[in-house]
Amino acid sequence: MSVITNDNIKCTEALAGLENVIDPEIGLNVVDLGLIYQLDFDEMDKKLYCTMTLTTQFCPMGESIVHAVKENLGKSFSNYDVQVALNFDRPWSHEMISTKGMNFLNE
Amino acid sequence: MLSFNGSPGPARTTSYNVVLPFYTYAAFAFFAATLLMVFSPGDFINHYFQPHILAITHIMVLGFGTMIILGASHQLVPVLIEGELYSKQLALFSFLVAAAGIPVLSYGFYVFNMGWPAKWGGLLVVLAIIAYVINLAMSMHKSSQENVHAVFVLTASLWLLATASVGLLLVYNFSYPILSRNSVEYLSLHAHMGITGWFLLLIIGIGSRLIPMFMISKYNQPKILWWIYGLINAGLLLFVLIFIYRPGGWIWIFPVFPIGMALVLFGNYCYRSWQQRIRKKLDEQMKISLLSVLLVSLPLLFLIGIIIAIVMANEVQRSLVIAYGFIIIFGWIASIILGMTFKTLPFIVWNKVYHLKAGISKTPNPKDLFSAGIFKWMILFYIPGLALFTAGILFREIIVLQLSAILLLFAAALYNLNVIKVMMHKPVTL
Repeated sequence: MSVITNDNIKCTEALAGLENVIDPEIGLNVVDLGLIYQLDFDEMDKKLYCTMTLTTQFCPMGESIVHAVKENLGKSFSNYDVQVALNFDRPWSHEMISTKGMNFLNE
Repeated sequence: MLSFNGSPGPARTTSYNVVLPFYTYAAFAFFAATLLMVFSPGDFINHYFQPHILAITHIMVLGFGTMIILGASHQLVPVLIEGELYSKQLALFSFLVAAAGIPVLSYGFYVFNMGWPAKWGGLLVVLAIIAYVINLAMSMHKSSQENVHAVFVLTASLWLLATASVGLLLVYNFSYPILSRNSVEYLSLHAHMGITGWFLLLIIGIGSRLIPMFMISKYNQPKILWWIYGLINAGLLLFVLIFIYRPGGWIWIFPVFPIGMALVLFGNYCYRSWQQRIRKKLDEQMKISLLSVLLVSLPLLFLIGIIIAIVMANEVQRSLVIAYGFIIIFGWIASIILGMTFKTLPFIVWNKVYHLKAGISKTPNPKDLFSAGIFKWMILFYIPGLALFTAGILFREIIVLQLSAILLLFAAALYNLNVIKVMMHKPVTL
């Protein structure tokens, strides 16, 4: 699933960093798991908006995963104020897993 | 979509403070029950209505099985209903009251004092269950999402309340003749309401959500789960009616059919979930949990044997009855818990220790919090212990019972060691 963004170059950089954030149960990173929906960069106010989801709304690991995403984006874009929001209107499903992620899970 | 302003953390899950005491208590109860078995193997070749057997059974089903399930369900119910737990205080109250009541009740059985220990112990257990049922019902009422899994769990908790209430009535029946028959005659009603109504419904309700979730399975058939729900409840209600009206003969076997059919459907549900899983490699804990689904067929075979013996020879085969109960508690229920403890507990502790460190530094995985080696040894003691103890009951061999009880005690000790290892985990940075 592709991530919606207003800046492809910065988005690629952000996603590369987010590949280090691993779902501790599945062992797969949040990008290949398809949890990241949107990354928008506000150059005027220096804000980075990340919209993501979790595999289930009351995922016991949810707080850790969101915290890790925020910290990781903060590391990659230290001059931006990072804000993370969760979207459950479009719930996560296995179809959102990337091909790379599918290969990892099929091992 | 949630707004960025003032939003979000993820939805709040149940705090580890609520859940961990249940796990700790359950681990000690498992050890206590196996320790008592080492000292009373002779009781398992006599009648099942023995003080020591009653005490061991209640330590296992209440102290181990029910406590760990209550703990885990406080964590898992929010996942099932997609809503928050209604009250943390009620959960803690439920723990404290049950934690006090279970040893008092078990002591009452062990010394066969149906006076204050059994009465007060039983009352406290019923009170703890009432608090749990209220917490569950209010959580579901507050949540906008109602689903088949949550209905399973709520119905199971109501059966648990009914089971404990019948149990308390049986205790009082020793002092005051409340019931028309002797308390011993009601044991099968009390036991089957607990095993089928509480454990089976709950395990299927939670398992049918967690098994596909952990395997990331494409399989999703809530309609089948509704059928399973209907069949189990119909079978159990039929059993209660037959028990009350006692028509005699082959009619006793009728409730076995809907419940057996439900088990076949659930086995098929798990198999389909496994077939359509995206995550191909399963960990040991998951394999043990799937194996325990198959183990449920064993007590069913014993039950059919008991019914045939009753109808053909017109007598209750005591060793078969004890083996049947043992296989259910130490085989089916214990094996699920042994697997699922190390599937859930490391995550709860990991969340407690690392949730603010995630993303900043490299942390261990939840599965690194327990020892896979100790887990393997635990299973290596548990499986022969289970098989030999069952054989010891059936062939009435005290030496076999004694040796296999020691094997089970070792398994319980290793289980405790691993639980303590997870609980005591201190943060490390890799």
